[in-house]
Amino acid sequence: MQEEQVQQSEQNEGYRWGMAVDLDRCTGCEACVTACHAENNIPTVGAEQASGGRTLHWMRIERYFEGEFPDVQAKFRPVFCQQCDNAPCEPVCPTYASHHTEEGLNAQVYNRCIGTRYCANACPYNVRFFNFYNPEWEKPLHLQLNPDVSVREVGVMEKCTFCIQRINTAKIDAKANDETIQDGSLQTACVQSCTANALVFGNLNDPESEVSRLARSPRGSKLLDDLGTEPSVTYLNRETWHESGSR
Amino acid sequence: MNPEADRRMTEDFLRPLLHTTWKFYVAVAFFGSIVLAGFATWGYQIYTGIGIAGINSPVFWGFYLVNFVFWIGISHAGTLISAILRLVNATWRRPITRCAEAITAFALMIGAMFPLIHLGRVWLFYWLLPYPSQRGLWPNFRSPLVWDFFAITTYLLSSLLFLLLPMIPDFALVRDKTTGIRSRIYGLLSFGWRGTPKHWHRLESGMHIMAIVILPIAVSVHTVVSFDFSMAVVPMWHSTIFGPYFVTGAIFSGIAALIIAMALLRRLLHLEYYLRPIHFQNMGKLLVTMSLLWGYFVFNERLTVWYGNESHETGVFWATQAGDYAPFFWTMVIVNFVVPIVLVGIRRFRTITGTVIASCGVVVGMWLERFLIIIPSLSYKQLSYMWGSYAPTWAELTIMAATFAGIALLFLLFSKFVPIISIWELKVGDQPKIETDQPLADAEAEGELA
Amino acid sequence: MDRRQFVKVSAASGAAATLAGCGSPENQLIRFIPEEQFTPGIAIHKPGVCTLCSAGCGMQVRVMDGDVEVVKDGQLGVMQKPLAKKLEGNSEHPVNKGKLCVRGQAAIQVTYHPDRITRPLKRAGERGSGQFTPVSWEEALAELVAQLDGLAGAGSQGALRFLTRPLTGQRSVLVGEFLSRFGAPAATTFEFFGEQVLRRANEASFGFSQLPTFDLARSSYVIGFGADFLGTWNSPVAQNVAYGEMRRGRPGVRAKFVQVEPRMSQTGANADEWVPASMGTEGVLALGIAHVIMRSGSRQPGDAGRAGALIAGWSEGLADYAPEEVERITGVDAARIERLAREFAEYGPSVALIGGAPLAQTNGLFHALAVNALNALIGSIGAPGGVFFTPRPDGFVSGAQGASIKDVASGILDGRAPAEVLLINDTNPVFGAPPAWRVAEALSAIPYIASFGQFIDETSNLADLILPDHSLLESWVDAAPESGSMMSVASLAPPVMRPLHQTRAMPDVLLTVGRSLGQPLEPALPGSYEEMLRAAFEALREPDGSSVSWTTAQRQGGWWSEMPAASPSPSVLDEGPRAFEEAAFDGDPRQYPFHFLPFASQAFLDGSLAHLPWLQELPDVMSSAMWSSWVEINPGTASGLGVVQGDLVELTSDHGTVRVPVFVSPAIAPNVIAMPVGQGHETFTRYASGRGANPISILAPTEEPTTGALAWAATRVRVAKVEGDGGLILYGGALREHPEHSR
Ligand SMILES: Nc1nc2c(c(=O)[nH]1)N[C@H]1C(S)=C(S)[C@@H](COP(=O)(O)OP(=O)(O)OC[C@H]3O[C@@H](n4cnc5c(=O)[nH]c(N)nc54)[C@H](O)[C@@H]3O)O[C@H]1N2
Ligand code: SF4
Ligand code: SF4
Ligand code: SF4
Ligand code: SF4
Ligand code: SF4
Repeated sequence: MQEEQVQQSEQNEGYRWGMAVDLDRCTGCEACVTACHAENNIPTVGAEQASGGRTLHWMRIERYFEGEFPDVQAKFRPVFCQQCDNAPCEPVCPTYASHHTEEGLNAQVYNRCIGTRYCANACPYNVRFFNFYNPEWEKPLHLQLNPDVSVREVGVMEKCTFCIQRINTAKIDAKANDETIQDGSLQTACVQSCTANALVFGNLNDPESEVSRLARSPRGSKLLDDLGTEPSVTYLNRETWHESGSR
Repeated sequence: MNPEADRRMTEDFLRPLLHTTWKFYVAVAFFGSIVLAGFATWGYQIYTGIGIAGINSPVFWGFYLVNFVFWIGISHAGTLISAILRLVNATWRRPITRCAEAITAFALMIGAMFPLIHLGRVWLFYWLLPYPSQRGLWPNFRSPLVWDFFAITTYLLSSLLFLLLPMIPDFALVRDKTTGIRSRIYGLLSFGWRGTPKHWHRLESGMHIMAIVILPIAVSVHTVVSFDFSMAVVPMWHSTIFGPYFVTGAIFSGIAALIIAMALLRRLLHLEYYLRPIHFQNMGKLLVTMSLLWGYFVFNERLTVWYGNESHETGVFWATQAGDYAPFFWTMVIVNFVVPIVLVGIRRFRTITGTVIASCGVVVGMWLERFLIIIPSLSYKQLSYMWGSYAPTWAELTIMAATFAGIALLFLLFSKFVPIISIWELKVGDQPKIETDQPLADAEAEGELA
Repeated sequence: MDRRQFVKVSAASGAAATLAGCGSPENQLIRFIPEEQFTPGIAIHKPGVCTLCSAGCGMQVRVMDGDVEVVKDGQLGVMQKPLAKKLEGNSEHPVNKGKLCVRGQAAIQVTYHPDRITRPLKRAGERGSGQFTPVSWEEALAELVAQLDGLAGAGSQGALRFLTRPLTGQRSVLVGEFLSRFGAPAATTFEFFGEQVLRRANEASFGFSQLPTFDLARSSYVIGFGADFLGTWNSPVAQNVAYGEMRRGRPGVRAKFVQVEPRMSQTGANADEWVPASMGTEGVLALGIAHVIMRSGSRQPGDAGRAGALIAGWSEGLADYAPEEVERITGVDAARIERLAREFAEYGPSVALIGGAPLAQTNGLFHALAVNALNALIGSIGAPGGVFFTPRPDGFVSGAQGASIKDVASGILDGRAPAEVLLINDTNPVFGAPPAWRVAEALSAIPYIASFGQFIDETSNLADLILPDHSLLESWVDAAPESGSMMSVASLAPPVMRPLHQTRAMPDVLLTVGRSLGQPLEPALPGSYEEMLRAAFEALREPDGSSVSWTTAQRQGGWWSEMPAASPSPSVLDEGPRAFEEAAFDGDPRQYPFHFLPFASQAFLDGSLAHLPWLQELPDVMSSAMWSSWVEINPGTASGLGVVQGDLVELTSDHGTVRVPVFVSPAIAPNVIAMPVGQGHETFTRYASGRGANPISILAPTEEPTTGALAWAATRVRVAKVEGDGGLILYGGALREHPEHSR
C-alpha cells in the first residue's frame, strides 16, 4: 500500500524530499548543528549526561583522520537521518511511531513512541536519539522554543525530520497560492545556515531541481550503500587536487 | 508397590508443605526484600526516567535486555526437557519434571517483565498489544517485538498448563492428607480428581498432547527472541545462525539451571534418596551434549565472520576476540565449553559436585553470551564515529539481583505449597527398591557417580 | 522481493488472519497533525546584527508571539510578547550572505540566559565575593553620576578609565566622544585574540591599518599560514561562503588549498595539503616560496613594491631564503617548497593568508610582512581572487586609541597613572590577560568600578555597580565591519523585541549620564542612541553623492554600497627592511620541552561565549569534546609521556600550571601541545563556572615588540601525567579512519 503510494506520488509528480551533501564544500563549521538545535527544540543535557552518551544531535559532523603525522588528513562528514526509502528503523517499531510517509520521509510520531529504542539499534547511521529524562529548559531559555515543533518528553525517540514543520508550512503556502513549491524556496534549518552551501535540499521528483542534479553527480554516493537502505541523502565526494588538470 | 515405600514417599514429599521452620521465614524475608528493592528501583525509574540505567547512545539496549534473553533461555529448562523426556519415555525423568516445569514458568514470568522494565514509557505498554481501539490502530505486526509478545504469551500459557496438569493428582493427595481450609483449597486445585481410570487416561493423553505441542512452541519462542536481533542490520546480529544458536543456548542454560535446582532441592529438602546420582549423570550427559553443540555454533559464527572479514563486522569481532570485551568472551568459552567437558565429559572427573560446578559455570557463561551478543554489536556499529561503550548502573544491578532473588523466592514458596517432586509419577514409575533401613545420608556419600 | 515487500507479505499473511477486515493500520495512524489542520505559527522576520565577534554579520531574526511570565505590581502574570525564536543570516547582507556561524546562531541564548543580570546591582560583600543587592536604575545612575561629578570636582577627569571590547560603529564613536568631552583618556580595548600585528603589517605594506578581505570565491590557489579563516578568524562566515565557491562554484575549476600550521585546525582539516612547519618560522616559508618564484623569473622583485621593500634582501631575490636554508629553519622539505612555489605561481589567482599563532610570536610582525610581500609579489593585492581592503563608511570608526590594558594595569600598580573610576563594557581581562599583567590586582586597586555587564564574569565580579546592558536583540545595534565584504558596510538593527528584564542599553546609559552630570558634557551629546544612529546613517553618502534612507537601512539591516577603493595611507611608518630573527620562546627548552599553542575555540572563541549551553554541548569538530577542556598531543609524544586519551596531565610553564585531559591527535607536531581557549572560568554563569581549565593562566607575558601585542603562542611548557579524572567528554567514539570504505 505504502509502496504504491510512494510510486503514485512519483507519478503525480508529488514531492519526494532529498538532500545532497557536498563534502568538497563542507568546512566542519557546525553552523548546521546549532541551527538544527534552534529550529527543532533539541534540548541540551548537561555535562554529566553528555559524558554518559545522552546528547541529542540530530545533525553531527563526523571527523575521520587518515594517515599519520605529518602526512595526515582529516575529513568531515555531516550525518543526520538519511530518510531511507527502505528504512531499517521502520519495520522494527512495534507501534508505527517510526513509519514512512508518502513523500519518502521516515516520520516519527513522538506521541506514539513507547521507547523500546529498537529503531535506534536498527538504524545503521546512529541518527536516532532518545530522551532518557524529561528535557529541561532553564527559564527563560524556554522562550526560545519554536512553537511549530513539539517538545519531546522522557522515553521518546527523536531524530532529524527534514524539518517537517517547514515542509508543511511551505506546502500550505503553495497550496494557498495554487502552485507547487519552487526549488530553493524551501530550506531546512541546516541547509539554510550551511555557511559553505554544502547542503542542498529539494524535491527529488523534480529532475530539474538542484538536489536531483547533484544526486546524479558522478561524485555522488550513498552512505552505507551496501546495506540497501536506499537513503534520500547523496554525499558528493571530496575531491583531490591534481596538478595535471581534472581539478 | 511396597506400601511402606509409598507411605514414606508421601511423607517425604508432603513434609515441606506441612511443617514450616523459622529458616523458611528468614529466607523468604531475605529474598523478598531484594525483590522489593527491585520493584522500588523500577518505580523510581518510571518516576524519573529510564536514564537511571546505563544505556546510552549508541548502546540503547543493556542489562535489561541481556536479562530478558537470559531468563527466557533459562525457561527452556523445563518444558522442553521434560517434554522430550516424557515423549521418549525416559523413566529417570520422573523426579525432575516438576522442578523443570516450575523453572520454566518462573523464568518466563521474570523474563517477560524485562521488555516492560526497559520501555521508555512503560505506562503505554499496552500499545504493544493488539486490542481494538477507536482509531483502528493496531501494533505493527512486522515488528519482532510484537512477535515476541505473541511467542512469549503463548509459551507462558502453555508452560503454565504443562506445569499445572500433572500437579492435579498431587493436589488431590494433599487434599486427602490434610484437613480444614487447607484441604478445601487443595480440593479446589485438584479439580475434583478422584483418580478413576477415566481421570488417569485423560491426564495421560492431556500430558502427551501438551508435550508434543510445547516442543515447537519452545523452539519458536527462542527463535523469535533471536529475531529481535537477527532482523536488524546490526553487525553480528544480522545472521541466519541466530535461531538455532539461541535455541541451543537456551536449552543449554536451561539444563544447567535445572541441575543447580536439583542439587539445591536435594540438599535443602533432603531428597537425596529420590534425586540420585543417575539423574545427575544423565543430566550431565545432556549438558555436555549441549555444550558441544553450543561450541559448534559459536565456532561457526566466529569463523564465518572472521573469514568473511566484512568491514562492518570486524569492529565487533575484534572487540570481542581481543578488545574491550575479550575477557568476557574467553571466560564464556572456558565456562561454557572447557569446564563442562572436563568436569562432566571425562568420566574420571564426573561427580555430583563437579556437575553442579560446571552447571553454575554454564549459567554464568550463558549470561555472558547474551551480554556479548547485545552490547558489543551496539557499541561497534557501522559508523566508527558513533562507537561507544556501556556500563550498568546501580539500577540495572539492583533489578538484576531482584530477578535472581525473585526466582529463589518463587521456588521457596512453590516448594512450600506444591510437592516439588511429582509424587504420582514417581509412584507409577519403577523406582529402585526402597531399602527402608538405609540412612538417607548415604546417597550423598556415594559421591562419585557410577 | 525487497525487505519492504517481504515484511508486507508476512504482515499480510500473519496479520490478515487475525485481523481480517481492519484494513491497513498504518494508514489509519493519525500522524502529527493532518496537513489541513496544521496551522504554522505566524512568524515575522526582523533584521539584527551579530555582535559576538568583530565580523559584524547581519542577522534575520525570526520573531513570534509567546507567553512570557512577567511580574507587574508585585503580581505574577503571563503576557504575550513578540519573542525572538531563531537567529538566521540576513540573505541581503554583503558580509555573511544569509549565513551565520555556529556562535552567531547561539547568540539567542544570551538573551534568554537564565543567569542574566536582570536589574542594576550594587556590591554588597567584599569585592569579588560575588554578593550584590538589587538597586533601582535611578539610584544606580545617581551613584555613577556622583562618582563622575566627584572626579570633575577634584579636577581629576583623567582618572576615569573606560575598558571595553573592541567596538565598531556608533558605539565606538559615542564612547570616544563621551570620554573626550569628559576629559578622560581614550578607551582601552581588550580582547585576547587581538589583531594589532596584522593591522600594523598591513599599514606598513599596503597603507591600510585594517584586516584584509579575501576574494576566495575567485581564488585558485590558497596558502593559509596559521589563519583559522574557516573557523574563528577575521570574518569566518564570509570566508566560509567564499570557500564553498572556491571549491565547487566554478565549472572545471577547483582551487588548491594548502594550510601551514603545526596543529591541524578546523580550517587545516579542509586543506588539500597540510604543512606542519615549525612554530615561529612561517614567514621564512613564505619567503622561501617568494625566493623560488623570483628565481624562476616569473615574477620580479619589483612587482612587490612597497611590501617587498620591507623585507631585507628582497630586491636581491631573497638569496638567504634558498629552499635548503628554509628547510633547515622550517622543517619543510626543500623539494616541497619548490613545488609549492611553482604551483602558487602557476595556478593563480593565488593568495596567501596569515593570522593567528604565527603573529603571536616575538617575530610575528616579520611573518605578516613576509606573507604580505608574497601576496604583493604574486599580484594578489586588489586583484580578483586576492586581497582587498574594504572602504569603510565615513563617521563609523573612532580613531582614538587608548592605552593597552597592560599599560593601564602597570600604571595603576606602580602609581604612575592611578585610576579613580573604571567603566567596563563587555570585556573580561581578568580571565583573558596573562597573569603576569596583574590585571585583577590592578582593578582591585581602583576605588570605584562600574560595569555594563550582562553576566557576572571574573571582571564584572569586581564591580561596585552593575548597570546591565540590553542583549543584542533588545537594543539598537550597529556595526561597521572592517573586512568580510568588498562593499562598504554599516550594519544596523532596531530592537527586535522588548527587553525581558530591567536592563538598559549601554549607549543610552552613557548619554543619560552625560546629561545628568553636575557639569553636563559640552557640546551636548545626542538625546538618544537611536537619534545618534539616525544622524550617522543620514550623513552617509552613496557613491553618486545621494543620501541614505534611514527607513531603508532599518528595514534591510544596514547600508552597503560599492564604494571606490580608499587610498592607502602614505608610508609613514619607520619600518626598515626586516630580516628573519628566531622567535624567542619563554621557558628553557630543556626544562620546558614543548611549544604551547593556545587556539581559539570553535565554540567559545576567546571564552566570552562559554556561558551558552548550545555551545558547551557542541562537539568540537576536531576533537568532538563537549563541556570540557583538553590538550591535543601527538600519539608519539603521548606514548613517550605514558598517557592515553582522557588521562589527566599537568602543563607547567614558568608562569603557572593547569590540569587538563589529553586528546591524542595524529594532526599535531610532536613538539607542540595545543589547548583551546575558552573554558576554565571561575565565575561565568552556571554553565561555564568551574569547568575545564584556562590556558591563558600559564601564558608568559611575552610581546611582539613593535606593537606590544601579546605573543600568546610563545610560551614553552612541560607535561606530566597526574592522577585523577580528566573529565574529558567526547561525542565521537572511535575517531579513526573511515571503517567503511571511503571513496
Ligand atoms: N469543563 C469544561 N467543559 C466544557 C468546555 C470547557 O471549556 N470546559 N468546553 C465545552 C465545549 S466548547 C465543547 S466543544 C465541548 C467538547 O466536548 P466533547 O465533544 O466531549 O469533546 P472532547 O472531549 O474533545 O472529546 C470527544 C471524543 O471524541 C473522540 N474522537 C476524536 N476523534 C474522533 C473521530 O474521528 N471520530 C469519533 N467518533 N470520535 C472521535 C475523542 O477521543 C473523545 O473521546 O466541551 C464543552 N465542555
Ligand atoms: S537513517 Fe536511520 S533513522 Fe533515518 S530513515 Fe534511515 S534507518 Fe531510519
Ligand atoms: S523507540 Fe519508539 S519509535 Fe523506536 S521502535 Fe520503539 S516505539 Fe518505535
Ligand atoms: S533537516 Fe532539519 S531536522 Fe534534519 S538535521 Fe537539518 S535542521 Fe535538523
Ligand atoms: S554548516 Fe555546512 S559547511 Fe558547516 S559543518 Fe554544516 S554542512 Fe559543513
Ligand atoms: S562570524 Fe559568527 S560570531 Fe562573528 S559576527 Fe558573524 S555570526 Fe556573529
